[in-house]
This record gives sequence, structure tokens and C-alpha cells, in this order.
Amino acid sequence: MRTSTRRSHRLMALAAVAALTTGVLAGCSSDSDGTSSNASDSGKGKTTLTVGTFGVFGYKQAGLYDAYMKLHPNITIKEDVTTRTDVYWPKVLTRLQAGAGTDDIQAIEVGNITEAVQTQADKFVDLGKDVDKSQWLPWKNAQATTKDGKQIGLGTDTGPMAICYRKDLFKKAGLPTDRTQLANLWKGDWAKYADVGKDYMKKAPKGTKFVDSASSVYNAAIGGESQRYYDKDGNVIWDKSTGVKAAWNAAMTVATSNMSAKLKQFDPTWDQGFANASFATVACPAWMMGYIQEKAGDSGKGNWDVAAAPTAANWGGSFLGVPTASKHQAEAVALAKWLTAPEQQEKVFAKQASFPSTPAAYPNLKPAAATTAYFSNAPITQIFSDSAKTIPVQTFGIKDQPIGTAITDVGILQVEQKGKTPAQGWSAATKEIKDVLGQ
Amino acid sequence: MTTSELTAPQDAVPVREVRAPRRRVMGAGKQMHAGPLTYVVLIVFALVSLAPLVWTAIAASRNNQRLAETPPPLWFGANLFKNLQTAWDQAGMGTAMFNSTIVAGSITIGTVLFSTLAGFAFAKLKFRFSSTLLLLTIGTMMIPPQLAVVPLYLWMADLHWSNHLQTVILPTLVSAFGTFFMRQYLVQALPTELIEAARVDGASSLRVVWHVVFPAARPAMAVLGLLTFVMAWNDFLWPIIALNQQNPTVQVALNSLGTGYIPDQSVIMAGALLGTLPLLIAFLLFGKQIVGGIMQGAVKG
Amino acid sequence: MSSSKQALAHPAPGSGAAPGDKPGAARGAGGRGTPAPGPSSWRSRLYRWDMKAAPYAFISPFFIIFGAFGLIPLLYTGWYSLHNVQLSSLDHKSWAGLDNYRNLLSSDFFWNALKNTFTIGLISTVPQLLMAIGIAHLLNYRLRGSTVWRVVMLTPYATSVAAATLVFTLLYSWDGGMVNWLLGFVGVDPVNWRESTWGSQFAVSSIVIWRWTGYNALIYLAAMQAIPGDLYESAAIDGANRWQQFRHVTIPQLRPTILFTVVISTIGATQLFGEPLLFGGVSGSKGGSEHQYQTLGLYMYDQGWIIGNLGKASAIAWSMFLILLIVAAINLLFTRRLRKSQ
Repeated sequence: MRTSTRRSHRLMALAAVAALTTGVLAGCSSDSDGTSSNASDSGKGKTTLTVGTFGVFGYKQAGLYDAYMKLHPNITIKEDVTTRTDVYWPKVLTRLQAGAGTDDIQAIEVGNITEAVQTQADKFVDLGKDVDKSQWLPWKNAQATTKDGKQIGLGTDTGPMAICYRKDLFKKAGLPTDRTQLANLWKGDWAKYADVGKDYMKKAPKGTKFVDSASSVYNAAIGGESQRYYDKDGNVIWDKSTGVKAAWNAAMTVATSNMSAKLKQFDPTWDQGFANASFATVACPAWMMGYIQEKAGDSGKGNWDVAAAPTAANWGGSFLGVPTASKHQAEAVALAKWLTAPEQQEKVFAKQASFPSTPAAYPNLKPAAATTAYFSNAPITQIFSDSAKTIPVQTFGIKDQPIGTAITDVGILQVEQKGKTPAQGWSAATKEIKDVLGQ
Repeated sequence: MTTSELTAPQDAVPVREVRAPRRRVMGAGKQMHAGPLTYVVLIVFALVSLAPLVWTAIAASRNNQRLAETPPPLWFGANLFKNLQTAWDQAGMGTAMFNSTIVAGSITIGTVLFSTLAGFAFAKLKFRFSSTLLLLTIGTMMIPPQLAVVPLYLWMADLHWSNHLQTVILPTLVSAFGTFFMRQYLVQALPTELIEAARVDGASSLRVVWHVVFPAARPAMAVLGLLTFVMAWNDFLWPIIALNQQNPTVQVALNSLGTGYIPDQSVIMAGALLGTLPLLIAFLLFGKQIVGGIMQGAVKG
Repeated sequence: MSSSKQALAHPAPGSGAAPGDKPGAARGAGGRGTPAPGPSSWRSRLYRWDMKAAPYAFISPFFIIFGAFGLIPLLYTGWYSLHNVQLSSLDHKSWAGLDNYRNLLSSDFFWNALKNTFTIGLISTVPQLLMAIGIAHLLNYRLRGSTVWRVVMLTPYATSVAAATLVFTLLYSWDGGMVNWLLGFVGVDPVNWRESTWGSQFAVSSIVIWRWTGYNALIYLAAMQAIPGDLYESAAIDGANRWQQFRHVTIPQLRPTILFTVVISTIGATQLFGEPLLFGGVSGSKGGSEHQYQTLGLYMYDQGWIIGNLGKASAIAWSMFLILLIVAAINLLFTRRLRKSQ
């Protein structure tokens, strides 16, 4: 028995050493495999391009990669997806600064574009050179352009806002259900939208609230303001900003009343809120419509409708940039231009309602029949394209996103969920923003 | 084999009565049978431990819409295989599983091997600066490692190792945790007399390691191997920075699920389930090793 | 004396792969390290060299590999902590000296995170280790299907973070979560687990305990397996019942491992960030609207990764290291004074 244990020990140990050696060698040998984006030529004149995106692009699902590969047989496209932006962006930042490991095309979200423009512009190719800039909405181009006129990103989708609401709940609460009427009720001012909320709560059906959260109202409102947290010279002006004041006041009306369902967006509980019809309205960008359809399910069919939002606002949207570290700049630039061209943006819209940033596509947009029926045959394309065309040019700053989060996740949340006064919420947000800015 | 030296000095019991029970394998209550209360406690513990994993399987067998409803589903639906298939294809799990096996396997073997060697040295060998070096080793664990990924990546990029598996294997090939763990275990479980006996027979240090240390350390090596394998398999923060989807580990690959504006939670859960299954297999393999070492009749007392 | 040692020495002659070891020689010499004349003097020199060098050889893999891949990045974060540097512009560092640390000392957020780390650490670590020893003791019995129980123990540690997140979010949700539903039966109002101070800390601690108890139990189990049975027998013969055996045999034998788990758990509790981040869900790095469950680790993650203040985040990281040093120093002083008083 002892001998056999010893032998089996020896065998195990030999196997272990063999495995360890194989492991390290295998790791090293993937070097010559050509799987890294640094060695993407597999001979025979074929070029492999890697496209780095985060969760929300539908290029693969819309068949864009296959279509491009058919048009260009010498090009292979591989997608490198990281679902969450808050994991994707630090990774891209690190890789850009290391000068190695970036994909040939990197997507940049609107929340990060200003940081990219102000700190990483030298690491991206100037895409504005041989492209017809008028293809895109002007405010979209502006977001990705440096002070010297270098454009580091081409616009992909945008997030023009509307108000998605539940007709059946409105009816029960004695409110008008016609979308044009509603749009006029709250036109021009998110505070008016909150006033409609007060009316709703007077006769609200049991167990329902008017809106999902105060933060969503804030985000929608600030998305339509030209003055946000920074001025044109890059100074932080958040506490004096007219845009912030307007958005904050609208949010406070919601937070200090009982009209909010106090949910956190994209939390599982928010999903349940859709399924249970816990709230009657939500400020919805175009891309949220598919989400609502899925989460609210069959019980919502024909009960949801879309009305124009109080102001033309934008929430979300991205860009495609080409890092200078790419070994195939020319091909990558060509692919980026193609992916963001109006025809391709139409196809993505057809697949997942990502609203294009190229106005030329608007007349041709056809939402899925199921979506139109789901939202009571609302003129979806009209509503969103009207909004998209009139969104003002906004001034962004480098810490825009953390400042916004400080306001919503600290200031507004304290008032909404912990019963603090607006003044207390404001001072909490002030303190938080000071910490964000490292002061 | 005389037994008188092997029993405690105050023992006045005649030899024959003590011999039989000692034949049993080591361990506290191993000679005792577990009462019903033990099983009750263990069952409760097992239910609480397993519940989230079971729920993952339940969620993976449903569709996205059902998962949003209240109350959440508490029993299985019909979509399990469809979702598993979707998750496998979407995430490219074939390559990812292969990579993760290599990565976690190498890290486990390296960690267990080097930790046992170092742990043994710190536990039983006398050499200069041993206390200082031990404290230094423990000290390295006290610095949070999360931010170090940035300079580490910069360096890996300099070495042109970005997106290759060795970036994920080499930094974790040794472990202060493992070294400290093996040291404490060997202090308790490896009687110095055994080592001395082997030395008397002229064994070199390597032979002592092979014939005395490894057998004595086997339960601890199994536990360390298990814990290391799980940690390496589930490691996320560094692999997501160091690798991309062309050469991913399982956790990196799973992070590509749920794309599109409507992440399909049921597919994400199916992916999570796929990612956990190899671990359960590893458990069954390693778990058998966590038995008493071959310390029968060891010198003690 | 020699007979038992001879019994153990038996394996030596049997093994064929021994590097040039003649069984008779050293044993015949009648003692360790006594050099015999002739060919053995070379061997004895080798032996002495082996005794001196082997320890260093054994610990060198750790120090070499760690030195190469672990130490330098860690020191680099220390370097960052002395500068004003952003994640997006690593090249544009400006020297700040100890300013980052000074700012932390006067920062409410830092002290809040420290306080939370301490309270969550206490609530989650103490019950966890106690339960772990208990479970390990139970697992040490002769059980039916013992492997299955051991596998089950480690499943929380192996369960993916995504799955655990979903489960615990649904469990602790304010409206309709299972915990609030159960509390409703005993007449307690629904608790806003994420936003209440003690509620969120309790919830986070429960996730930590769920995740790590089995882990520590396995570590204790391995150590328990190495306790010689005769110690228990002699205790039993002296009339000790099971509890007394546990107290007087198991625990003392387990002391090195208990020390290990206490050290590791203290370090883990100080650096805790995964579970609170998971509990917060989407954008959970703030640890609640009033940072009620933001630990030091979470604060560091938020500052470094989400906001991009890398210099400040690195200072938080190294302050955690300093805190642990202080804890270790206090511990050392304490035990030294205890030992002196005995």
C-alpha cells in the first residue's frame, strides 16, 4: 500500500509539473498565434480589425460586420465587448496610455467623450479630415471635437428624449390621454411635468406613482440644458449654473412629494416596477422603448404611449474613435466611417431602436411593427427626430459624469429616500462634488 | 511497533485497550458518529449556501420577461438548455474554458508548490532573517492590490504581453496567503521529530520535502489548491484589464454577455452557471483529498 | 526511542530514486552531520551547504516572482499617492508630497469610511469565524457523504458575483423583497435596506458572512484533520465530555490556524470592497446616499476607478496599509505586555 501511494504521489507530482510547464508555455505560445490585436495579420493579405465596444451597440446583431466583410473580403472583423461602461472605460484609458493593447476601433460613451477629448486627443486619429461632417447632428460633432478642431470620434447613436406613459393609468387618474394634449401641458418646462404629476397623485390608482424616480427627471432635464457643470473655459460652475438650477428644482418637486416610486434605474427592482406598472411615466430615450417592451411584457401592450418631452434633451449616445496605436489605421478609419454612415445607422435602428445621429436617416426610419403597436401607434420616429434636431449644443467638462452622479446619487437620493430637505440635499451634493474634484 | 511512546505520558491504560481505536484515521471526532443535531445544522447551512446557486439555475431556465415579474420565479422553467446554448455561443465559452483551465490550473499548481516550500522553510527550518522575511511576506498582503492594476498593465504592455495569458498567470503564481497558510499548518501538523528522523537517515532537504513534508501537508495542500483554483477561476479585476475577448478567461467572456440595450438576464445567469460548473467538478476532485494525512502512529506528546 | 524512528526510517531504503543516498552510511555514523572520512566528506560538505542554502532556495520562488510582478506595481501606487495624478493623464503628475494624506485626515468621507469599515468588519468577522469553527468541528465527525458536505460549504465562495448580486438585491429590496416580507410576519415595517445605516451594514455583513464562512470552515477543517486522535482519547479517558475536549484539545491545537484566520480576516475586513459594491447595484460605489455602507476599500475604488482621482485613491490604499500596521503594532504591544505580566 505504501509503495502504491508513493507511486501515485510521484505520478501526481509529475503530472503537476507537466501541467505547470504546459500552462506557462501555452501562455507564452499564444504569442505566435496571432490572437492579439498586435499581430493581427494572418498572412495571405487578410487584415483583422478589432472593434472594442461596450454593452449597447447592436452591430453584430444587425449583421453589419458580416455585410462589411462581404464588401471587403480581405478584412475580418472581431468584436471585443465589455458589457459595463464603468469597467470598459478605465480599461481603455489604461490601454491608451500604455500605448498597447487597444482595439483598432474604440467606442466612447458620451459620458466619457469629454475626458477623451481633453486628455487623450493625441492618441486618436483625426477623423474629421476626409469626412462630410454635415452628415451628423452639429451638437454631436461638437462633443467629440477639440478646441483646435480635431474630431476624435464619429457619432453613432443618440438618445433624444420623450415621455413614455401608461394611458390606462392616466385615464384612471382622470388625466388626458392624448399625447399631443399632454405634450402641450408640460411644454417647455420640466417643472410643468412635475405639476402634472401632482394632478396625477390626486386620484392615482392604488399602488402606482407618477414617475419612477426623481433622478430620472433630473437627468432628463439637464440633458436639454446648454449650461451644465462647466463653462466654456473649463471652470466648474455647477452651483451657479442655470441648467442645474432648473433641473434640480424639477427634481425637488418630485422628490419632496409622494409622486416618485423611489426606484433606482436599471436595478432589478426597476424592472419589476415596469412589470407591475408601479409608475405611470418615465422619461424615455429612444433606446429605452425596447427595454420597456421587454420588461413590462404583455400586460403593457397597447397601454403604453409616447408624448414629446418638455424640452429637447439627450441622454446617452456614443462615438467611434480610432486610436493612433492601431496597426491598420486606414482600414479602421474606413470601417468607422462606414459603421456610422446613415444607411448603417438605419439598420441598427431597425434592430434595436438605437436612434441615429445622422439626420439623413430619419425619413427612412421604420420602427418594428411590434414596437409601434405596443406604444399605441405613436409616431415614434417623428417625436424622436424632432427632439434630436433641436437639442442644444451643451458644454461639457472633464468630470461631468461624476458630478452628475454626485447630484443624483447623493443629493437627490437623500431628499427622495431619506426625507431630507432640499437645502440639506444641496449641501450634501456640494460636499460630494468638492470630494469628486479633489478639493 | 511499540505503542507506549505514542500515548500520552499520564496514560496508565494497558497497551491492548488503546491500540484498536488508534487504528482509526486522525481528526477530532472522527471516532465519533455525528448525531442528528449535527445533520440538522449542516442541512440548514447547506441550504443557505446553495440557495443563490440554485436560484441562478432557476433564473437561467426562465426568460427575461419572467425574471422582471414579482414574485420572482422559485422553480425551474423550460429554457435552460436554450439559454445555456445561447450563452455558450455568445460568450465564446469554448476558448474561454480552455484558457481559464490553463490559467487557473497553472496558478494553482504554482501557488501550492511554492507556498508549501516556503511555508515549510518558515515553519521548520532555521535560517537567518526568517522572522523578518515572514513578517515581510505577511506585510505584502496588507496593501490593497486593486489600484496596482494600472502600473502593472503599463509594465505588461512594455513587455508586449498584453492580451496574452501569461499576464494573468505570472503575477498570481505565488501567494503570501498561501505561504502563511502552509506555515501555520505545518507548525501544527508536522512534528519536528519526523524531520529529524529523516535527517538522521541522511536525507537532503529535497528528500525531506518529498517524503515528509508533502505527505504531512496533503490536506492543507488540497484546501489551498481548492481555494486558489476558485480564486483564480473567478478573478475578474485584473483579467478584464489585461485580456480582451479574443483571448479571454471565463470571467472576461461572461462580461460580453448581455449586450444590446436590453440585457437578457436569463442568458447572463445561464452564463454564470456555465462558469461555475467546472468549479463544482474541481470541488469533487479536490474534496476527496481533504482527509487526514498519513499520520497514523505519528509521534506526538 | 530508536525503534519508532527506525519504523519511520523504513521508507528510505525502499525508494529507488534517492539521489545517491547510501542508507547505511549516515545511520552508521550515529548522529547528524558527523563527517566521516573519505568519500563522505564531500557528501557532508554538500549536506552542510544544503542545510544552509535550502531554506533560502525554498523561499526564493515567492520573493523572486512577487518581487518581479507584485512588488513594483504596489510601490508604484505608493509613488502615485505622493502626486496629484488622474487616471486619464498618468503622465501629467505634479508632486504633492503628503498633501493627499493630509487631506484625507481632514476629510469627513475618509473618517466615515473608516468607521464603516470597522463596524462592518466587526459584525461580519466575529460571527463568521465562530460559525466556521463550529461547522468545521461538525464536518470533522464521521459523516455520511462527507465529500458532498465539503463541496456544499464552498459553493458560496464559488458562486459568481453576478448571480449573488441579483439574489441579494431581490432579497433585500425595499418593496417586496423576501426579508421585508418575512419581517412583515412579525409586525416590522419594511426596512429600506440600502438607505438605512444599520440596515445596510447588517445586510452587507450578512453577504460577507454568507460568502466566507464556508471558506474559513474548510481551513479549520484541514487543521482539525491533523490533530492526533490519541489526544482526544486521553482526554476522554480523563473524563472530558465532547465540549471539554473541544475546548481543551481542539482549540489549543488549532492555535496557529486560528491566528492565521484572524490575521487574514482582519486584513480582508480592512480591505473589504466587493460585497458593499455588489450590494449597491448599479453605481454602487458610493455606498449609499450618505455613504452609510461605504468602506475604505469602496471609497478607494470610487475615487480611483470611477472618478479618476488616482493620487487620492492611492493615498487611501496606503492609509489602509498604515492602519493595519498600527493594528499589528498595538497587538504586539498588547501580547508582549501580557507575556511580561505572566
